[in-house]
Amino acid sequence: MKKLLALLLCMMLIVPSALALADDQVTITLWTYPIGSWVDDTTVKGFIDSFNAVHPEIKVNVQYLDYSSGDDQVTGAIEAKTTPDIIFEGPERLVANWGAAGKMLDISDLWADTKDDIVAASPAVEAACKNAEGIYYEYPLCMTTHTMVINKQYFEKADALQYIDEETHTWTTENFIKACKALQAAGYIPGVIYCGGQGGDQGTRALVTNLYSGKFTNADHTAYTMDSAENIQALTQLQTMVNEGSLTADPGIVAGDEIALFCNGTIAMGFCWNASAAVSNKASMQETVTPFPMAFPSDDGVPELQGGIWGFGLFDNGDEARANAAKTFVKWVCDDANQAVPSVYATGFFPTRASLGDIYTGTEKEDNAAFSLFMPYLGDYYQVTGNWAVQRTEWWNLLQRIFSGGNVEAEVATYVTNSNSGI
Amino acid sequence: MQATTTSNPHRKMKVQRGDIGSDHSVQALTPYKVIGVILLIILALLFLFPLYWIITGSFKSPQVINAATPQWFPLEPTISNYQRLFEKPAMAWVWNTVFMCVMSMILTCITASMGGYALAKKRFTGNKLIFSIFIIAMALPKQVILIPLLKEMAWLKIHNTLWAVILPTVGWPFGVFLMKQFSENVPNELLEAARIDGAGETRTFLEIVLPLISPGIGALAIFTFINAWNDYFLQLIMLNDTQVLTISLGIAKLQSELSTDFGLIMAGAALGSVPIIIIFLIFQKFFTRGITMGAVKG
Amino acid sequence: MTVKAPSLAVSKAQKAQRRRENIAGYIFMAPSLLFFLGFVIFPMGMCLVTSFFNYTMTDFSFIGFQNYAELIHDSIFVNKALINTLIIVVLSVPVTCIFSLWVASLIYKMREVHTSFFRCVFYLPVVTGSVAVTVVWKWIFNNYYGILNYLLKNLGLITMNQNWLGSANTALGCIIMILLTTSVGQPIVLYVSALSNVDGSLVEAASVDGATNLQVFWKIKWPQIMPTTLYILVITTINSFQCFALIQLLTSGGPNNSTQTIMYYIYYNAFKLNRYGYGSAMGIILAIIIGIFSAVQFRLARTDNG
Repeated sequence: MKKLLALLLCMMLIVPSALALADDQVTITLWTYPIGSWVDDTTVKGFIDSFNAVHPEIKVNVQYLDYSSGDDQVTGAIEAKTTPDIIFEGPERLVANWGAAGKMLDISDLWADTKDDIVAASPAVEAACKNAEGIYYEYPLCMTTHTMVINKQYFEKADALQYIDEETHTWTTENFIKACKALQAAGYIPGVIYCGGQGGDQGTRALVTNLYSGKFTNADHTAYTMDSAENIQALTQLQTMVNEGSLTADPGIVAGDEIALFCNGTIAMGFCWNASAAVSNKASMQETVTPFPMAFPSDDGVPELQGGIWGFGLFDNGDEARANAAKTFVKWVCDDANQAVPSVYATGFFPTRASLGDIYTGTEKEDNAAFSLFMPYLGDYYQVTGNWAVQRTEWWNLLQRIFSGGNVEAEVATYVTNSNSGI
Repeated sequence: MQATTTSNPHRKMKVQRGDIGSDHSVQALTPYKVIGVILLIILALLFLFPLYWIITGSFKSPQVINAATPQWFPLEPTISNYQRLFEKPAMAWVWNTVFMCVMSMILTCITASMGGYALAKKRFTGNKLIFSIFIIAMALPKQVILIPLLKEMAWLKIHNTLWAVILPTVGWPFGVFLMKQFSENVPNELLEAARIDGAGETRTFLEIVLPLISPGIGALAIFTFINAWNDYFLQLIMLNDTQVLTISLGIAKLQSELSTDFGLIMAGAALGSVPIIIIFLIFQKFFTRGITMGAVKG
Repeated sequence: MTVKAPSLAVSKAQKAQRRRENIAGYIFMAPSLLFFLGFVIFPMGMCLVTSFFNYTMTDFSFIGFQNYAELIHDSIFVNKALINTLIIVVLSVPVTCIFSLWVASLIYKMREVHTSFFRCVFYLPVVTGSVAVTVVWKWIFNNYYGILNYLLKNLGLITMNQNWLGSANTALGCIIMILLTTSVGQPIVLYVSALSNVDGSLVEAASVDGATNLQVFWKIKWPQIMPTTLYILVITTINSFQCFALIQLLTSGGPNNSTQTIMYYIYYNAFKLNRYGYGSAMGIILAIIIGIFSAVQFRLARTDNG
């Protein structure tokens, strides 16, 4: 009996290592959040196939996450120690959450030869991908700005086109208020401030902070500053508009629902829009809707838009062979001469390498090129501030309280206290 | 068992009474009854409506679904929702669900019938204590233990596999409790006789006890199946990979941040519910019998 | 079986028999015990232990009763999650019982086909699956293109779209309503069977004596279906406490925490904020509450049967 057991144990020890020695095949796992077409199995498998043409020794398994349960899955995987090797998302998760918790690998070596190219595209991207100590946890692939969108047909009928600058896609706060009133007078629902959950909250954040050029956090990202005079003024303004009916607040929906309302012509503007949303919602657009992307209104006419940065991070799984294979894959996806453009193109966003230039003009996604117009307005990437997950819940709860008649100053104080405690 | 073999004594009686001209149903045509039945029919329609809305919705195009004026019936039915659904491993989700439910069912029936028999008929030391712990544990909310359970599954290296859902389902004490109640009806004389005849424990259990408690096993099987089918929270925590999802999780995951595609979601919901509804309708008698027996004994 | 053995020989035989019983008992018990201890009792113990720790993604340190102390002062837990959970239980349990008894009493005397038709219809939401039912209701309740608002507006019952899930006044009510549709199926099946098994001769005798239908129901039928009622009370209570999918998929506890429940708050703390220790402490509190409810119901069962 004992002998048998010993034999079995020996076999268990030897067999896997023997298998590993047999060939140098490494298997790595990639999890991706839904970023453009990176949820489409055919596209991603296609990339992996081309990768295997160059690196047949690395096998890549891919899993697709979604924003409603993806975080739970990563949390579960971290606790279960079954994290993937590579994950595709933004700095708020890669750097500020899992990186800060010590779960990610330092990937500074990937940056060695591309840092200048990335800084040339946007210094904000480079800053967002590292922590305060300068350790890089993310290797960026693409970026965008989150904008809003208006239905040109409704604006025209309400005689509100005069309030926007069609050339630069910008408008002032004053004109935004006038436009909303004009739309209301013409019988349209101008816009809905959605606050049923955290989905798409970058839109509501940008709306509030831009109105009177407030800041969402302080400059070194250590505290939330919604209680500043500018932000309180903005929230009070929005509350007034909701009370008057020139805007609506809906604690029952999130951005996805709001976009559906925009597409079916129920509302005249949407607060959660970007190049990727423009592509994916084309099919459900009613004839009465002509989407026209706009920057968020601001008092000085110069918007500061919320950025989106997406890239790859590596979970620390304690296996060097897999880590190296993962780095090879990431490097290939982002920087290979033939692959870099298709990788970004699939996201529908813009390259974080200045050398890649304009990748949309003259392609099927021609419309996306228009969004590059907004890139200069890219603002501070404050999503890496601590307590981010707490803040997100506090945020939609704050909006719910304000738009159900709460006192702005008191509610903001609660929000700031809760969000800042324990940063 | 009593509950099912007595085939509705009331109905028989009614026939007899009908003969002497005092039929209950004739007498019962009071305004209360009429209103009651009308209300009942309205309620039945309300209960049927969600299913109708799932099935018709799954054939509607995104424009129709998002239109402010809903269509009661898809005027231009499209299968594009299903096409998009099957671009995802939707069939795998269905099979995963079936595998998970059936496996939970089989394992629960085996372990519970053995355990229930032991608790009912074997006077071993600690019998009473074990039974009390089972009873107490039944009242516990199982979601409470999910975080440690997650750790445990990781340690066993079965996190993110269907077994991580199956094993805790099998561990749930209700089955043992139910089977104990059924096993108590097995006459002691039969067991004694078998012992005198020299039958071993295994033979006694397989040849005498099992046939007698088989209706109970049927009830338990149905119970376990439905519970495993509906235990969304456990599945949500334990399963990650697209390939190992159950259909419930799959449907929940079809909602994305930037667009709520109700057509696609309804197609998923239809795929998840229509097969089991058909099974339910075919085996309706067994389902109701199982539910009733589970309760009578539980 | 339990005759005392006077002679030594018999007692020896009895000892042997006893040992045999013991061994057989444990062998038969082993598989279920293994699963039960491994996947229920062990994690339960772990849950109790971690509730005394500050257990997050980066930390695991003993803090005594601090989690519990924080819980008492957590206004969302005390004022929202706890209260809403109790509202759901206190409302949905009696309503489920009364509604299903009413339906059952109407349908059990119908023709076999009709009885089983209605039984099936009311059981349908259970087999459809909680997630499928939830997502379709989400669509029906939609503020802008849901069928409910469209219907009510056309019938003239409301003039403006009502934001069913987005308003603190209606959201919890909607959730309880959906919960009801998914929980009356089993009670109806049970009541139909229980009512059919009421001793017919007693009913007959009472009617001959001139008892009204109501009297017949309370004096004869009600006591006989009492065990069924208690069973239904217990299972409905446990189900109502554990309602989770509805909250997660419909409202995420909003608006303004008006649909926050203990179950969802545990999930939120453990999986969104990675506060496992705090979540465990909440779990222990929930277990105690359910324990109290069950104990009370078991008590009732005992006094009523005795």
